[in-house]
Amino acid sequence: MSRPAPIAPPPEATGLAATAPAASFGGAMVYDPETKSAGAFEPQLLRRLWSYVRPYRRHVVLSLALLIGTQGAGLLQFFLLRHAIDVHLVPAELQGFMWVLAALLAVSLVEYAGRRRQVWLLDLAGQNALLDLRRDLFRHLQRLSSTFYDRTPIGKLVGRVTSDIEALQEMFSSGVVTILGDFVLIVALVFFLLVLDAELALVSFVIIPCLLVATTWTRKHVRKAYQIMTSRRSRMNAFLHEHVTGMALVQAFGREAAAQDQYGAINREMRDAQVDAVTWESLLSAVTDMLSAFTTALILWYGGRLIVGDVTSGAPPELTLGTLFLFVFWMQRFFQPLTDLSHKYTVMQSAMTAAERIFKLMDVRDFVPERVDARAPSEARGALQFDGVEFAYAGGDKVLHGVSFAVRPGEKVAVVGATGSGKSTLLKLLTRLYDVQGGAIRLDGQDVRDYPVAELRRRVGVVLQDVFLFEGTVLDNLRLGHPEIPDDVAIAAANRLGLDRIVARFARGYHEPVAERGKNFSSGERQLISFARALAVAPPVLVLDEATSNVDTETEELLQSALKELIRGRTALIIAHRLSTIRDCDRILVLAGGRLVEQGRHDQLLALGGRYRELYDREYRKQAATAEG
Amino acid sequence: MRHRPLLELLPYYRRYRRAYALGSIFLVGTIALRLVIPWLFGDAMDDLRGLESADSGDGKSSAAARAGRLVAINAAIIAGSALVGAVLRTASRLHILGTSRRVVHDLREDLFAKLTRLAPSYFLRTNTGQIMSRAVNDMNNVQGLTGPVFMYIAETALLFAIGLGVMLTIDPAVTLWAVAPFPFFIWRARSLAKVIQEGSRAAQDSLGTVSDKVAESLAGQLVIKTLGLEGPDFERFAVHAAEYRRLNLEVTTARARLMPLMSWLAALAIMLALVAAAPRIHAGTLTPGEFVSLIFYLQMLAAPVATLGFVISSLERGEAALVRIFEVVHAQEGLPERPEHLRPDSMQGELEVRNLSVWREPAPTADGAPAPAPRRVLCDVSFKVPAGTTLGIVGHTGSGKSTLVAVLARQLEVDEGRVFVDGRDITHLSPIWLRRHIGLVPQDPFLFSATLSENVALGVRDATPERIQTAVKIARLDVDLPQLPAGLDTVVGERGVNLSGGQRQRAALARAVLLEPKILILDDTLSAVDRHTCDAILSALEPVMAGRTTLVVAHRISTVAHCDQVLLLEEGRVVERGTHRQLLAHGGRYAQLFEAQAREPDRIEPADETDSADRVTAPSGQEATP
Repeated sequence: MSRPAPIAPPPEATGLAATAPAASFGGAMVYDPETKSAGAFEPQLLRRLWSYVRPYRRHVVLSLALLIGTQGAGLLQFFLLRHAIDVHLVPAELQGFMWVLAALLAVSLVEYAGRRRQVWLLDLAGQNALLDLRRDLFRHLQRLSSTFYDRTPIGKLVGRVTSDIEALQEMFSSGVVTILGDFVLIVALVFFLLVLDAELALVSFVIIPCLLVATTWTRKHVRKAYQIMTSRRSRMNAFLHEHVTGMALVQAFGREAAAQDQYGAINREMRDAQVDAVTWESLLSAVTDMLSAFTTALILWYGGRLIVGDVTSGAPPELTLGTLFLFVFWMQRFFQPLTDLSHKYTVMQSAMTAAERIFKLMDVRDFVPERVDARAPSEARGALQFDGVEFAYAGGDKVLHGVSFAVRPGEKVAVVGATGSGKSTLLKLLTRLYDVQGGAIRLDGQDVRDYPVAELRRRVGVVLQDVFLFEGTVLDNLRLGHPEIPDDVAIAAANRLGLDRIVARFARGYHEPVAERGKNFSSGERQLISFARALAVAPPVLVLDEATSNVDTETEELLQSALKELIRGRTALIIAHRLSTIRDCDRILVLAGGRLVEQGRHDQLLALGGRYRELYDREYRKQAATAEG
Repeated sequence: MRHRPLLELLPYYRRYRRAYALGSIFLVGTIALRLVIPWLFGDAMDDLRGLESADSGDGKSSAAARAGRLVAINAAIIAGSALVGAVLRTASRLHILGTSRRVVHDLREDLFAKLTRLAPSYFLRTNTGQIMSRAVNDMNNVQGLTGPVFMYIAETALLFAIGLGVMLTIDPAVTLWAVAPFPFFIWRARSLAKVIQEGSRAAQDSLGTVSDKVAESLAGQLVIKTLGLEGPDFERFAVHAAEYRRLNLEVTTARARLMPLMSWLAALAIMLALVAAAPRIHAGTLTPGEFVSLIFYLQMLAAPVATLGFVISSLERGEAALVRIFEVVHAQEGLPERPEHLRPDSMQGELEVRNLSVWREPAPTADGAPAPAPRRVLCDVSFKVPAGTTLGIVGHTGSGKSTLVAVLARQLEVDEGRVFVDGRDITHLSPIWLRRHIGLVPQDPFLFSATLSENVALGVRDATPERIQTAVKIARLDVDLPQLPAGLDTVVGERGVNLSGGQRQRAALARAVLLEPKILILDDTLSAVDRHTCDAILSALEPVMAGRTTLVVAHRISTVAHCDQVLLLEEGRVVERGTHRQLLAHGGRYAQLFEAQAREPDRIEPADETDSADRVTAPSGQEATP
């Protein structure tokens, strides 16, 4: 089993710029989203992407087949028009004209139906594949250990699940996947044009290189302009947000003019970036249009020369008017995919970068290590033993220096100490959010690292200060994470703690939906719900981080009596903040600077006159002084 | 006729009328040149067709030579007009679209200037998100109205007007046949565009929700893991992710209809033209070249139909956005500075409140239900604070403490009754002058994304480093400096280091101390600072407070026990007043409150969250707890 080695602190904790160390960590690769590989189209990446698309491959294949079919139908329509011009219109011969019309109608309808289906199928495949990817990625994130989160900014991870997957989606919807179809179209066009009239075809292609160069070059500038614009926009929005939030302050300190000046500068920069983007975009569309018209002119001029030459030499003209017409319209079809090519390449590039970042994150195997043969002892009595426990957060100083103590089954122990004394760390180590770096923690005689993690967390019930309420009813929240608990058990547990009195104010009682972030409950009531949640699971060991926040006196009393009910008959380890709780415990552990400095009952410790006495006096004497006035 | 919000933009348009006019002229030129090309092409084809029917012999060669020349000339004109057209097109876009960005720039400038002038009460009524939505989203939507939308409409209208004109002169019957299906397709494009745009917006919102859920889950991952909530948390995420997929597919359905439909329009129009043209070509009233020109034109006309639907949507959205922006621009400036306002040279700091009442308008409801009547939050409050003394104000949350403070700091309007500073009615005094002499330290202070020392020196531009140091020391912020990466030069705020609540409160206190105000108001300022530090700050403040009027607002009585006089507020009324001793002796509500607070003293440790490394935190937004 790998033991975490201390590494440098996460960048956001020190406030320094991203200088994440590339240290190896417990055998797992360090996740660094910024590294980019040289090639944008690694087969490895494409293979992994394909594994998500694979279940929907029939959609993709059918869509591509339809794409080629519809492209063909599009070309065929102009070919039919050429036929109409050469056979029926120029000689004014209407025999069989109806057949041409019928064919045109049929082909255009096929194109319409085919394209509809093609777009839909491709997008459906994309959406399905990306939903799967998103779900997998979220599952993966859930499994990653706490140490991973200590050194990875959340904002970046959110970006993986949202904007990076968006970049992949763009690949499906902007037609990058249809590049294959475009390619077939171009090859087909080149072939047919050459067959129709090789000489004219070669002349028609003269403009193509210019088009490619011009569009690639202008698009590069468009892209750059947009990048500048995006960064300036976010700067402007950040400035605005901050000043709208702090406007009272701006006014109170008479900084209105200064703020306007600052905003003016940002605003001007934004405008300049926007005008820049507009300029390059206008240029791009104008150049493309112009080159397309140039090609038309070129075909007309050269085609005209060919016809005139044939007529002059008395030969029957090889080039018909219909073919001339066909060349012009087909070449227009030719332009569209070529103009889009550089755009599609950009989309593809950013999709590959996104895919690379996503899969790199998926490759992080920084999970809580679980032994293959992990088994929990059959008997759960609730005996706890901390044995020389040592711990330091990544890159930080040691927060626990060999802490040892034992808790008998059913014993209630309070842990007190100033902020930073390491008492919350005890809780995190017991539930294996982190693993000890020295010593061991044993539950019922077995090292917690040898338990299956899920079973450990079931046996050690935790009640935290910050109550996490999900959408759903109160009842749903009572058996959160344990759907197997029947309604009546959950409700009975809640009633024992007096929650019935609180839900009585709702028409639907326990079936009342919880508002977002539990806004329809006071903080004390939310605490009570979390007590009831723990009671419903009935774990042998209960760890409780008592709330520091003030609640009104009535709720306070309710909470205190609920707490007594909750810990009755269980082993309880309470990070205590209230004197009443501390007094009621069998034993008090006093932590200071990561060491267990005193332990005993309240009156014993007071009599001792040590660290506990000091803590106690600091709060209590002040109250006494104020009371005297 | 309903009020046209577009009229509001007239002054902005007018500023750039030259650019718009030039742009429009270039636009007409661009379209005209584009429409020349099909005609020239058709004409050239007819020239070439003439050759085939011409007699053989010398006549034929000379006819061929002439036709060759004509075709070459036409081709040259096509190339020439494409070149000039490209130049004109770029010029017209630069003039119209570039100007549109300038207009929006001006509009943003005006909106921000207005925001700096709006009274604090406006910001209390309207939340930041709403204002940001005006300044960002609505502004984006308005951008269309300042050029792109009208340019697109004008372009399409010109194309149809000139194009149809030319087509009708070529052959009215064929033209009318061919364009007959256009109205139906325009209508269909419009309705599909609506579905796509509304759907995209819904999908965008949904993605925002997904993003929020992920951030929330990751921020709360310690809690989720400890409580074994991975399952429900995943379900919660999965529901939103699936909803996002559903909305996206809804958009796809409409998109998959719109695009093929529009290319079918071109095919259909050409087929109709073919049907109508065949007998006429047969009869000799229409040449094949002319017919090819018509096909060219039909393709040109069919292209913008799909986009037209989107343009109409942006027009509507832009107008709605404009209305919302101008609601802000025309909002009443609560406490404007007036020339007749008094600006005395100095302030003594004597404060008197006589029969003050304040009403608060309830926040506007989202569903547009009739707003409930304004609530009276302060009711007939009277008191007097001699210059240089201290007044404590205690009361529960919602008792009106903060409203009272906001009125005294001239952030909220005096609704009824009067407030005097140095015997002068504050409504006769300049609000800016008043704010300059009143230092308010709010409970939840705001720090800009700037260095800590810039934040402290916010109101005093010429503050020396020594003075900043002193202020920082008085506020006991100096002890925290070694923890910060760059001490006083550390960038704090949203884009910098996140300070704890207590640190922010002390920074705000230092800011007010540096200002040396005549009246200092501490609005529950030290609530997030631990007792020990709080006492140290209060004693360090004593020399600063000497000679200043100080108002201390608190919900804990111990904080105001040393004040010269204390007010107890309940539901907007002063229920008790006197010194701490007097009020205790009186045995009323104050004494009861004191008893109750004394009974819950058993918090055995400081609540200052300077060390967050040792706490398990529930999802609370962006801040991660390492």
